[in-house]
Amino acid sequence: MTRPLDGIRIADFTHVLAGPFGTRILGELGADVVKVSTTERAIGIAADGLDPYYIQWNRGKRSILLNMATKEGRKIGRALCARADVVIDNFSPGVLDRWGMDNEFLHYANPKLILVSMSGMGVGGPWSGYVTFAPTIHALSGLTSLTGVPGRDDLGIGFSYNDHAAGMHAAVAVLAALEARRRDGAGQRIEVAQFETGVNFLGPSLLDLLVNGRAARASGNRLPYDLAAPHNCYPCRPFAAAVPGEEDRWVAIAVMTDAQWHALRSLMGDPAWAHDSAYETAAGRVAAIDAIDRQMAAWTQTQDAEAVMERCQAAGVPAGVVQTGVDLTRRDPQLQATSFFTVAEGDHPSIGTQHIDRVPLRFSATPVENYARTRMPGEDTEAVLGEWLGMTAAEIRRGEESGALT
Amino acid sequence: MAALVTPLTISVARVWEGATCSLDWAAMNPSAGISRNANDGLGALSGVRVLDCSDARAIYGAKLLADLGADVVRPEPPEGDPLRARGPFIGDEPGPERSLWYAYYASSRRFLTLDRDSPEGRDRLRRLALAADIVIDNGWLPASGIEPEALLAERPSLVVVNSTSFGPDGPWRDYLAPDLVASALGGICATTGDARTPPLKIHGDLVFVTSGTYIAIGALAALRHMRESGEGQIVDAAVHEALPTALEHVLLYAWYSDLVDWAETPVLPRQGSMHFTTVYEVLQAQGGGIMVTPTPDPEAQLAWLVEEGVHEDLLDEKWQDPDLRMEYAQRMMDVMRSWVPTKEVGALFEEAQARHAPYGRVLPPELLVENPQLEARDWWQQYQIDGTQTRGPGPPYRFARTPWRVAPPERGDDNEAPAPVNSVLNAIGWTE
Repeated sequence: MTRPLDGIRIADFTHVLAGPFGTRILGELGADVVKVSTTERAIGIAADGLDPYYIQWNRGKRSILLNMATKEGRKIGRALCARADVVIDNFSPGVLDRWGMDNEFLHYANPKLILVSMSGMGVGGPWSGYVTFAPTIHALSGLTSLTGVPGRDDLGIGFSYNDHAAGMHAAVAVLAALEARRRDGAGQRIEVAQFETGVNFLGPSLLDLLVNGRAARASGNRLPYDLAAPHNCYPCRPFAAAVPGEEDRWVAIAVMTDAQWHALRSLMGDPAWAHDSAYETAAGRVAAIDAIDRQMAAWTQTQDAEAVMERCQAAGVPAGVVQTGVDLTRRDPQLQATSFFTVAEGDHPSIGTQHIDRVPLRFSATPVENYARTRMPGEDTEAVLGEWLGMTAAEIRRGEESGALT
Repeated sequence: MAALVTPLTISVARVWEGATCSLDWAAMNPSAGISRNANDGLGALSGVRVLDCSDARAIYGAKLLADLGADVVRPEPPEGDPLRARGPFIGDEPGPERSLWYAYYASSRRFLTLDRDSPEGRDRLRRLALAADIVIDNGWLPASGIEPEALLAERPSLVVVNSTSFGPDGPWRDYLAPDLVASALGGICATTGDARTPPLKIHGDLVFVTSGTYIAIGALAALRHMRESGEGQIVDAAVHEALPTALEHVLLYAWYSDLVDWAETPVLPRQGSMHFTTVYEVLQAQGGGIMVTPTPDPEAQLAWLVEEGVHEDLLDEKWQDPDLRMEYAQRMMDVMRSWVPTKEVGALFEEAQARHAPYGRVLPPELLVENPQLEARDWWQQYQIDGTQTRGPGPPYRFARTPWRVAPPERGDDNEAPAPVNSVLNAIGWTE
């Protein structure tokens, strides 16, 4: 079955999460993504099999082993880049150049190449050499200071949001560059400096600071610039089917209009406190937000989260259970109705059943239907070197003997 | 009916002579600057026509396309786009041109007035859709009685990206999910905060940045297929499916906690800044917070602690046992929890990075606007919003040859009574 990106070849030198997440999306949309790894630098590759973390982010790709520390390995690496539509890496600047993928090479060997470099800080500037992982970027980009509660700057986002976001932006950049290349025949270099990607997400708050002089701070679940109340997560009755890790149960309620406030008030049984005339407007409710939050929590603590959600939504009040990963994968009726989860075809050598969260894009003409298991490192070396480079079995054997294919 | 939206004055100095970075980034990138041709300087998506009928859930996707040079036309009702009421505002005074939220999320568009409650307005919308390459929709089409399938029947090469909260079918199809509710249902709130806080949303509209970025990916992937085959299609994108794909460890815990020693339970309770690996955490130093980690080189971290004389029992022989690897990392974090509060945050950050340790100082926005790295990289852009000149956010990525830029928004009509559809299409240049 045709996929939207069929025929696009991507040489993928990225590692860990940000780059691999972006290339996973491109691979599952049909691109031939060749992940280049080496056992000399075994990230996520252990003697007893692959870690689920590696397996999750590296679906949708073929896998070759290539030792760029050897002359033969570099020769093969250059040949792959000469045949690729896209090369993507997250090495320090200059590494690709040392391997011979420099300006001249690109100009003469593959002027249509789209070369995407992902780095923490980007090339140039006093911080260019800084070492960054996602939590570093979160802290430096302002994301940590702005997610949390007033008075604390030590919370931040509870997972590597910026890695996912940067990888997705790299995917957008690749697709946009392919369109440009179609128009004018030429590739180009693209840089994704993850620090800058992250700072970009503060957009309106940065403008607020620069125009109004107001520095944003974490505001819990309140909206810092708009009037909405009640607008919070409220504790509910313990969940009967809770598994370890689900010791508490919460529901989010977001009243965005006065009409929604009236509907909520009514379904709570019209308690006297909610009929305070000061609460008739959003501004009035926001001014009393602490008191309202206390009253809301007193009510929700007597309720099941699911029941609150269903009754609220039936009355046109936005509300949602605070779902865990177990909720999402085992209980969520909407994701079940849309068959969002599936399993890979065939068992995975390391983990057996490989669970799949589908690409969240459903194409009417080029659907993504089947999901293959994640490849083992080096599983596709022969096939890729044969298909991309026309290398014969004998040539591949020589490459193995020289230590280039480890 | 005369349109009530005043002519827009949001404008931005065009900064697209070559690269957006005046620092000679191309020269500093040894592998940059491949071929040069006559189209250099235009955005990557120059010439691509997009009809942007998005709301908050997909607007960031349309922004990505617009800032990359696509011609993105955004209709709004006669009373104005409701998103113009999103704060913050210039001087805290609301006004259709004064929303800084809108200046960011609705950048680089061309706006036109469209009354979808009138037959003329609906016809105009349909004709605009048929003249576009890509339509991004959060419900305007069905609300106007236009079926995407009917559009495709008339124009088989059209790409329609249909953005919804939960998908076109299913028990939650009609649920209302603004940002906080989408975050809760999508698994985000359960990860964020700690035992002393409720589950928390992420700052701003980052949830809709995720869903919006998938919109751009879906649109451009479908565009590519159309270029190859002539075949357009409908792409359905649900916010509620987008979010769980981007939760790092969350699905892995639910699926594989029986298989891995790093997941003790199927759900990891909220634990503040501590990463699921336990080896990244924000600690309080003198003068502010700093994210610290003993990775990726715990030996170097140990050597530093020894230099400072604060290593406690970390040199004990018992830690040579490879089975105690995780306990050792956690013991080192314990030692760092005592050590970091004694250090000044700025000096600690600089010394860590000098030692190649990936510590990250927690920077608040006021330090970002003076950040030397962003300054050196010439990241900030000039904006003019309702007559106010300001710096503002720069690009999330840099293209060497077809640069990103925030373009001055324009009106595609003269803001008067609705004009005949053909003259609108003529005015915006969307005729063959």
